[in-house]
Amino acid sequence: MAGTLAPSRTGRVVLMVLAFAFLALFIVAPLVAVFVEALSKGIATYGAALVEPDALSAIKLTLLVAAISVPLNVLFGLAASWAITKFDFPAKNLLITLIDLPFSVSPVVAGLIYVLLFGAQGWLGPWLEAHNVQIIFAVPGIVLATTFITFPFVARELIPLMEEQGRDDEEAAISLGASGWQAFRKVTLPNVRWALLYGVLLCNARAMGEFGAVSVVSGHIRGKTNTMPLHVEILYNEYNFAAAFAVASLLALLALATLALKSILEWRYGVHGKGHP
Amino acid sequence: MSLKLANIAKRFGAFTALHDINLRARPGEFLALLGPSGSGKTTLLRIIAGLEFPERGTVYYEGEDITQLSVAERRIGFVFQQYALFKHMTVAENVGFGLSVRPRRERPPRREIKARAQELLDLVQLGDLGRRLPAQLSGGQRQRVALARALAVDPKLLLLDEPFGALDAKVRKELRHWLREFHDRVGLTSIFVTHDQEEALEVADRVVVMSNGAIEQIGTPAEVYDNPVNAFVFDFVGESNCVPVVAADGRATFRGTPVAVDTAGLRGAGDLYFRPHAARIGSEGEAGLPATVALVRPREGRARVEAEIAGLADVIELDVAPDTAPAVGATVTIVPTRARLFPAREPDEAAA
Repeated sequence: MAGTLAPSRTGRVVLMVLAFAFLALFIVAPLVAVFVEALSKGIATYGAALVEPDALSAIKLTLLVAAISVPLNVLFGLAASWAITKFDFPAKNLLITLIDLPFSVSPVVAGLIYVLLFGAQGWLGPWLEAHNVQIIFAVPGIVLATTFITFPFVARELIPLMEEQGRDDEEAAISLGASGWQAFRKVTLPNVRWALLYGVLLCNARAMGEFGAVSVVSGHIRGKTNTMPLHVEILYNEYNFAAAFAVASLLALLALATLALKSILEWRYGVHGKGHP
Repeated sequence: MSLKLANIAKRFGAFTALHDINLRARPGEFLALLGPSGSGKTTLLRIIAGLEFPERGTVYYEGEDITQLSVAERRIGFVFQQYALFKHMTVAENVGFGLSVRPRRERPPRREIKARAQELLDLVQLGDLGRRLPAQLSGGQRQRVALARALAVDPKLLLLDEPFGALDAKVRKELRHWLREFHDRVGLTSIFVTHDQEEALEVADRVVVMSNGAIEQIGTPAEVYDNPVNAFVFDFVGESNCVPVVAADGRATFRGTPVAVDTAGLRGAGDLYFRPHAARIGSEGEAGLPATVALVRPREGRARVEAEIAGLADVIELDVAPDTAPAVGATVTIVPTRARLFPAREPDEAAA
């Protein structure tokens, strides 16, 4: 059975120790450090850092941005995957490539695109200014940048699954008299619900954690246009380590919660087969 | 219910899937579309259903042009090859789906939908399984649920895409008989697609043999089996042997030896086709195909003899009574008793 490629017992142990040591060094240690640093000046300082007005405003803004961009990308992701996998049309491959664009573009460049478009010196800047609409260095810009960055998560999760499921179920529904909307709601959506949830989770984690693109368009106005990751950076640059790590610990908790939920979902997927309970 | 297809043509990009299909299904008939993969049979079925639309040609239903109607408007029952049961719904919900998606005004009350689903499940002999999920059923049971679901909308025409394709051999055979009987009982016009000639011959009233997007022959199972119109049909519809011969003056000869066959006026190179049961081992000195016995295998009630003819790539298969089977290695003369002669196929065509 065990061919020459199978490592010996000692080999296996060494590999496992290496893998765990690597994980401990690069993943677990920083995570622990975040919480240790956050609590280094006691629980009271930790609590104070979180309820301080600028921190609260950053938390609120982060939640607001996620609350707008995640539903948008759920809608977009569903629509795009539905179109791509259930219909044939020209330029389909172009659409698939475009969906991947945010993955291949540096977040900083993504942010700059919006500055170029909507900034004071940008193409649409003068017009926006004339109509008293502020996008850059304001909440709309942050929402736009975040939506752009998190744009592929839901679609990328759904497309392979829907591709694999084929069109038979929808065709069956239609042949039984269902309208397109009924087929979508009663057949397609239940078929992909776990993958959708998984995509939403990843999308949300990224939306709350995005730094680069948001940093370019935000303008870092304290209490106004700072999201949590930006707030962490500001606190850190001011040598306010305990407070910086306190806010960072919230983001770390979000990551852990996402990871836990993701594992539960994967377990459900794995146990019950792809895409259905 | 009568269905008529007139000059149906369909292309996918540069590939011509169907050219000029003309076909008529009689009321109550069970029709099989038989052909190898790529012959266009599934495309044709999907065009009849309204899941695909032809480039040219007309689909008539009871004399009415329905070419542009959608699948929903056609009121057609379609059973998919992989059944396409909705995995998250119970069996009863699957069967009732067609009724539950009707516009509110036409939708029967929930109780009635349930009753109708139960009625249909009873009809396909799955009355007790309404609460199960599709994943908890066997392949044959799923097939029957798919059938019941398709019948829930009172279709006038039932279409089945490779209805037995996903089942194992034993279940397939059982379901075949069951489906035939079921068809007669409900009295629908049904059309099914298959690549399995045995299935088509056993189940259908008439068989439509297709290849390369065209119909080769339409006929009863006996007609297509006993009187194939060309070499393709002969070869596809049953087991066959093919030997190259030369025809001249109403006689066909294989390397100078005459073989008994109606040449039907053919002259020049031809292919002699005969089925394994339509040939015998000739007696001493009789004219026939000289061959060497390579293998003798027992078969229900007969013996299958495989014999080689020097210079021919394909072995000749014939069925003989077990007690008259020759020994392996023996030199024999094979005398076709019922053969057909067709013009020789082009080498590349024969290879395809």
